[in-house]
Amino acid sequence: MRGIFVVLAAITLALSIPTDVFADSVTVLYDDQVVEIEDTLPDPNDLWVLPDDLPRVNGFELKPEGACLLELCVPVLQDRDSEMFVRRDGQGWFNVTALSRKLQQAYRLDHEHKVWSFGEIPVVRRAFLNSAIAPDFELPNREGELVRLSDFRGKKVLIVTWASW
Amino acid sequence: MYEELGGENFEIITVAQDTLGEEATAEWHEKSPLTYTTLIDTAHRVSSLYNLVNVPSGVWVDEEGNILRIDEGTYSEPIPFGNNVFVGTDDYRPAVRDWVMNGPKSRYVLTSNEVVAKIRRRTPDEALAEPTFKLGVYFFRQGNENLGRSYWEAAQALFPDSWNFHRQDWNLTEGLGGPKYREKRGDLGEKPYYRPFDFPGEP
Repeated sequence: MRGIFVVLAAITLALSIPTDVFADSVTVLYDDQVVEIEDTLPDPNDLWVLPDDLPRVNGFELKPEGACLLELCVPVLQDRDSEMFVRRDGQGWFNVTALSRKLQQAYRLDHEHKVWSFGEIPVVRRAFLNSAIAPDFELPNREGELVRLSDFRGKKVLIVTWASW
Repeated sequence: MYEELGGENFEIITVAQDTLGEEATAEWHEKSPLTYTTLIDTAHRVSSLYNLVNVPSGVWVDEEGNILRIDEGTYSEPIPFGNNVFVGTDDYRPAVRDWVMNGPKSRYVLTSNEVVAKIRRRTPDEALAEPTFKLGVYFFRQGNENLGRSYWEAAQALFPDSWNFHRQDWNLTEGLGGPKYREKRGDLGEKPYYRPFDFPGEP
């Protein structure tokens, strides 16, 4: 009798793996973007995404040398499982929140709605914090067209924040 | 001011940071026909990037993308909204004009070290307040106002000095300048509501 339970448990476990692996779609808030990600690894504490989705999630790209954004590259081992990268059924998964912790980037998760919200990445902000270089940004104008601060390079710019409140 | 100074060498970018976006700001836009660049910033992105804590706040950026002044209320006292409200004081306007005319030789231009010293530094809690506030914006825009508000309250607790967080919340919950706003302003004591001007020749 006990043996049957073990077999049943094993079958249940085996059946549950494929559905679990591709089950969780999540929402990511980063910069001014709201990004829907279809496939993540189920993990209540960390956000694991497919390497192909990484650029949409935080601008990084997974390269052989690591997770890279502009001139910054964080080394990531990809020939074995680690805190930052695992392989399941041949498919690689990248741990976005482990990268955030390494970069001291603040983030917060709404568990119920599976919404991950990310703050600024400090290392990307060195030029601003240490050398007073204006961080670039891209926002829509009233017609919905995206405008970048850097579009005005060559001009003096006065940026004024305001609000109706 | 834009009509006077704008053109090939000078641009004013106004950034409307309203969670409700165009819906909230359209009325002001109609009242004040804007000929300069107007951007909509529902998640307070520019304040997040430039470590600003109140509106209106001004940042000067030169032709190469260097910041020359940062984090100053472009008016020192709240005044009624209307035409040209954004750079409405007699203090700020001449300084901007002087910079546009004289460039790096303007006495109002700060060195990069002086600017760096003026950039607000964030504690870990204050850094966590940013993604927390963004969750609030997301849920508010989704129509889940109770959840949105709870994240805003959490952001305010993490970063009590950010007037942006308080004022966005209170505006949508109890109206402009409501009791919580007045109470908090009354609590300020010696603390300035905006960082005061420190233009040369002024105390």
